[in-house]
This record gives sequence, structure tokens and C-alpha cells, in this order.
Amino acid sequence: MIKISSSNSSILLTAFLALTAHAAQAQIFLKNIHRHVTLTSTVADNGDLNPYAVIVAPVSAGRIQKGDVLVDNFNKVSNLQGTGTTIIDYNPATKKTTVVAELPQHLAQCPGGVGLSTAMTMLKSGWIIVGSTPSGDGTTRTKGAGGLLVLDANGHLIAVWANAKINDPWGNMATIDNGTTAILFVSMAGFDVPGPDVRDPKTGNPVIVRRATVLRLDLSIPAGKPPVVTSETVIADGFGQRADRDAFLIGPTGLALGPNNTLYVSDALANQIVMIPDAATRASSVGTGQTVAKGGLLHRPLALTMAPNGHLLSINATNGQVVEVDPATGQQLGAQWIDNDQAQSPPGNGDLFGIAITPDDKGFYYVEDDVNTLMKAMP
Amino acid sequence: MAVLATPPVITAPVENQPQSNQSTPNETPAPTDFLTEVSRSSTLLGDMAGLRPFLSRFGLSLSIQETSEMLGNVTGGVRQGFEYEGLTQAVLQLDTERAFGLRGGTFNISGLQIHGRDLSAENLDTLQTASGIEADRSTRLWELWYQQKFLNEDRLDVKIGQQSLDQEFMVSQNALLFVNTMFGWPMLPSADLPGGGPAYPLSALGVRLRWRPTDSFTALAGLFNGSPVSDTNGDPQMINASGLSFPLHGGVLAIGELQYAYPALGSMVYSDQSGVLSGVYKLGFWYDTEDFADQETDDNGLSLSNPDSTGIPRNHRGDYAIYAVVDQMVWSDPNDEDADRTVNFFARAMGAPEEDRNLIDISVNAGFTFHEPIPHRSDDTMGLGFGYAKVSDSASDSAKDTAFFTGSYFPIRGSEEFVELTYQYQLTPWCQLQPDFQYVFDPGAGILNPNSGHLVKNEAVLGLRMNVQF
Repeated sequence: MIKISSSNSSILLTAFLALTAHAAQAQIFLKNIHRHVTLTSTVADNGDLNPYAVIVAPVSAGRIQKGDVLVDNFNKVSNLQGTGTTIIDYNPATKKTTVVAELPQHLAQCPGGVGLSTAMTMLKSGWIIVGSTPSGDGTTRTKGAGGLLVLDANGHLIAVWANAKINDPWGNMATIDNGTTAILFVSMAGFDVPGPDVRDPKTGNPVIVRRATVLRLDLSIPAGKPPVVTSETVIADGFGQRADRDAFLIGPTGLALGPNNTLYVSDALANQIVMIPDAATRASSVGTGQTVAKGGLLHRPLALTMAPNGHLLSINATNGQVVEVDPATGQQLGAQWIDNDQAQSPPGNGDLFGIAITPDDKGFYYVEDDVNTLMKAMP
Repeated sequence: MAVLATPPVITAPVENQPQSNQSTPNETPAPTDFLTEVSRSSTLLGDMAGLRPFLSRFGLSLSIQETSEMLGNVTGGVRQGFEYEGLTQAVLQLDTERAFGLRGGTFNISGLQIHGRDLSAENLDTLQTASGIEADRSTRLWELWYQQKFLNEDRLDVKIGQQSLDQEFMVSQNALLFVNTMFGWPMLPSADLPGGGPAYPLSALGVRLRWRPTDSFTALAGLFNGSPVSDTNGDPQMINASGLSFPLHGGVLAIGELQYAYPALGSMVYSDQSGVLSGVYKLGFWYDTEDFADQETDDNGLSLSNPDSTGIPRNHRGDYAIYAVVDQMVWSDPNDEDADRTVNFFARAMGAPEEDRNLIDISVNAGFTFHEPIPHRSDDTMGLGFGYAKVSDSASDSAKDTAFFTGSYFPIRGSEEFVELTYQYQLTPWCQLQPDFQYVFDPGAGILNPNSGHLVKNEAVLGLRMNVQF
């Protein structure tokens, strides 16, 4: 029998921890990312700019091919936020970029008009659902409640969903798509948010209104017909939201689904990522959820996505980094500079927004709104 | 000597990609409410009543910027008073992918309309002129070039055509905040290169390569006509009054620059590392094969001040200089709410070893900028800068010779220094107001005031600049 002394056990423990740490390092998705390629300008024909949402088409439908990258624009040519009306389509095979949708600025069914936000998804049935967070003057002073716009795969507007639970759909959507039914998760960040000049006397910043929600929409998708909302459930609420002169709105932005129907939410103002258990089935709000990771490498987290290794990738708002977080442990494994533009300080501050994993699971797409480009990060 | 300036950076037009198959909107957009939009639009004229979206559909984008300023000296100088100076810049760019289906190509044409009067020429007699927009009144072509990207990740691009080197070479990003000319195109090439070198409001034909071998390093190299004007005698801005002269004879100006920037694209950061303070470091040189006149002696080796001199300076073939530029963030607010509150240091030094053919052999700029100095004024920047220009020993000796041969008092030029304190206030996204204060020590590096017979006294310069994006 081998006896292990206390000194030997401490050595073994140290070795075990080192191996564990090494294994965690080896599993960092971002460490395999080395190239950052500009794919296309995201400026639309009409001059719309400021790219926000990035999604990958799950199917071929209408003018869209499976694997195409769809990007929407939040600003029109004069750079007013909350006024962009276009979705562009980049085809990786042909490297061609087309405008797949150019919506009207004003829609009677959509309170405040159209300003396309980071909330966008495309269903397997070919329908595109995109959020509108509209403004008249580029600030929340004149914002409307907006809505969710349903488009067909040729970019035609089919329906607008707007009601009291929908107020400035803001962050990137998480989606469970079963074909004939689907579940959408959308953050709403506009409830009672005043203009950016309404300040909190204590901080000097625009006032924080803790009314942002995460809304679950259960959809039915009849064959050949547009999706229909069968139920709406607020599954989280009480997140901070506020106006910002540069960023328009700050509020819960990133949504990503993990195992067991756990939804992860980036709570930008609290500088943390929280989790909502049983997101697909719960009948009531969990409040602001349970903290998974806070501070550290996170700097006002925006869009979230789930990497192929099960880690969260979280875009930073106030620098040009994407952060990798192990949701099981909350450990922040590392961050990578994916925008180092020193025209901003810190570099890349305010440049990043949407993110989507590439179909081959080896990299990700993202946008840089300082230069209005779609980027691809890959090994 | 031609002193060239560098104007405020105009926001480059956005690049466009070819797009087609737009869906047809079902509703006509409501008319633009100018008064509602103007406070937050990036440009005063917004979409220019539909012109910008129209141009965008053809891959064209247009930027127009007016810079207007009142600057005046309240002490010193050859006289005192205020002058108005103005500059209108217009840039039109074409994306070739839409026009020709050629990815990565950009055509660029820009023009200048310069109006008002130069304070430095009228009142100050300084080497380091007070404003980066100072130039002769004119309407002129500035740049006309084509740029093409190559290689994976666009790691190489080539620009060919009429170019103004102050847009890419020896640039300190932080220094561009300031009003004084020498924070843009430096003093040394302004004084020593033929015609002041190809910089605002001039330019020269040539080709420039930019190569990014790694994510940290970028190399710039260019070959240009040795002079921006065909005749290096006289006022180069008058000789090439419209910018439509494209001389391609005489010498060659070769210029190279190696840049190191961190953090590098793709670099990893871990939780146990402290925050990164970003920086850019540049090393460069230029060599011009043109003829350069000796500062002191004539073609027979006599002092140019000697009564027996031919008056024809000794000729030298070629001139060169080396330079270094540093932009380094030194503080960043740790609070995410104020992450863009930063303090940056910058410095730029240039030296020309061949003193016999150069009026200025050393020039230096340095300073600090403070972004968002007042909390919640996130687009404001304050700066404190310093400039130094040293007259070469040969040029100083020439003055000594003049004193010797004339037997009269003649000042020996040494160096000129100035400090500048400025605050750029973002009034709206399309309008900046910039109060400015400069104080110049030893104007002209020690020259006579023709009005008094004494040295020009130190100058306090006050002013206000306004930039408007149309």
C-alpha cells in the first residue's frame, strides 16, 4: 500500500489544481481565434448605418440563403439613433451584400415608428422578427414604445406586435425554434425612460428606471402562415435601464440560452450576467435573476451568445473586448480585443454590439459601428 | 520659407457596399422634421434633403466641414489685434465595389476654400504659426487619389495619386486637438522641405503602401514628387494657386514609418491582469533628393553676408530627417460609467542632421489631453501642449556673419517655444466650440520687429475656433 504524506498530498493537490487550470485554459474558445476579417460594409443603400443585430439565417427562404448573415441598422444617414430601417444580407459564399428589407420610417401600428434594434431573429419557417426602438430626435426624449416587426424572407412587412408588455425591444433575442412553434426571449428597456437630460442629482447621470423586463413570447407558426403570439410572459423584471446620449439606451441587452432552459441575461447597468432558470416554462417573473458573473473583465456587457464549448461570449460596451465566461462556475476565463480602434478611449469603446457564432462553430461574426462593418473572427 | 498647417480632421465619409434587391416600402416616410432632428444629427443638414441617401445609392458619400476662428494677440508681436480665418473642406468618396464591382477600392477627391486673414503673417511673425488652417486665400484642389486593399484581412493597401502627407505620416492622434499648426504637420518639414512639403493646403503626386505584417505593427512607405510645386522659389501656394499643377519632375521624396500599437487586435486579457493603457509608437524618416540651398555660404564658399559673395547659396543634393511619435494613455477612469474619461500623453520629435541646408534642425511637440475633463461632458477634450523649434547653427551663423559684415546689430536666432491651452466643447454632434490660449516665447526664434527695431516680444494669443459639419 502506498502511503501519502501530508506534504505529498499538498503537492498532488497543487498539481491537480494546475492541471485543472491548464485544462480550463485549453478550453478557452477565444484562445483559438486569431484572425479578424472585414467581410462587408453594413451601410445600406439609403445610407443607414450603426449596425446592431447580427444573426445567421437558419434556412434558405425568399432572397435569403441558409448561412447568410443578417445585420440591421439602428441609425439613418444623419446618424440619428432609433431611425434606421434597413436589414442587410451578406452571403458568405458569393461575398455579395444586399438589402433584404427597407422599412418605412413611420408605421401606424408601431408606436414611434421604426428604429431597428439588436432584437432580431430568423425562424426555420423563414419569418424574420426584428425589434423597433424608435426615436424622433435620436434620443429617448422622443422615443416611442416601438414593437416587434414580422417580415417575410423577402423583407416585406407582414405584422407588427405592439402592446403594453412591449416597450423598446432592445437586446439580442434568444430563440427556441421547433418549426411549428417557437419561443422568443426579448429584453424590453424602454418603460418610462425619460430623455438623457433628466439627471439623477446624486450621480449626475441620466436617471435609472428599474423597470426593464425580459419577455417570453410563445409562438404558433401555422404552415405557410406568419407566426402568431399565443402567450406573453414576463419572466424577469426590475433591471436597471436609462437613457444615454451616446448609446441611446443602457439596459439588459444580451440574452443567451444554456442547458436546462436556463436563460442568461447581460444586465449592463449592474455590470453583470445573471441567469433565469426554467426560462421556457416558468409562469412568473424571477425578478432580476441570479448573478453568474460580475465586474472583472466585464465592462457594461451587451450582446451575449453561447459558444460551442458551452461558454458565454459577452460583448463589452466600454472597450473593444469580448469576454468568455464559464456559466457553470461564473469564472471569467479571458477576454480578447476584437476592436482596438484607438480613436476611442479605451480602444473600441462603444464600437461593438451584436455577435453570432459562425455555422462551422469555429468563430463568430460581430459588427463594428465606428466603421460600419461586419467582421468575422476565426482561427 | 513656406509654413504649412494641418486643418481640423474632417469626418471621413462612410464606405458603402453594393446592395440591391431592396424591398419596396409600403408607406412613404413622413417629411423630415429639421428642428426635431438637428440637435442630435451628426451633420447640420442631415440627409441634405435627400441628397446623401441619393448619393449613397451610387456608392458616393459627401462630407463638408467649415472651420472658422477669431485669433488675436493681446501682447507682443509686430502689431496687436484679432483676425478672422476660415476654411471649408469638402470630401467626396466613391466605393468602387458598387461602381465597378471591385472590392476594397476607394476614390477620394477633396477641395479647400480658404478665406480670411493669417494672424501669424499679419501680427506674430512666428515660426510655429498659430492656426492649423492658416494658408493663402484660395479655392483649391487638395487631394485626388485612389486606394486599393489587398491580401487576407486587408493587410496591404496601396494609395496612388495626389496626396497630402500630413493625413497619414508623422501623425500624433492626440496632438490633432490643438489649434497651433505645429501639432499637425511639424515645424521641421514645414521649414526645410521644398515648398514646405506636400501637406495642407498642398499635396504631391505619389504612391503610398501600407502593410500590416502582424496585428501590432504597421509599415507605411511612400514615394512622392520631391516638391509639391514646380518652382521652389517664391510662395508655393501662389505658384500652385488652384492645386491643379501636378509637377512630376525634379527630385523624389521618400518617406517611411513603422508603427507599433497596443493592445493588438486579437490579443488576450485575463482576470489577473490590470487594465490596459493603450498606446501607439512610431518611428520614421524622410529623404528628399531635391536641391537644397546652404543656409550660410555661397557657391564659392564665402558667407552669403560677405560683400564679395555671389549671393547664390551653395547647393546641396538631398536632405533627410528622422522622427519619433508617441501617443500613450496614462490614466483611465476605473468606473465603467466614466470609462472614456482618460488622460493621454503625446510627444513628437524630429531632427535633421544636415544643419548646413536646414533652417530648423530640431522640432518637438509634446503635451497632454484630457478627454471628458468635466464629468458627463463625454465629447469634450482639454489639452495642454508645448512646441519647440530650434534654428540650425548654420542659420544662426549666417546671422552672425550679417552682424559682422554690416557692423550693425543683428539678432542671432536661437529657438522659439510656445505653450497652448485649449478646450474643445461639443455643442452638438455637428458643432464644436474651442476657446484657445497660446503664449509664444522668442517669436521667430529672436527676430527684429521692423516697427520698433527691437526683438519681437513674447506673444499672448487668444481665440475661439468653431467647427461645423454640414
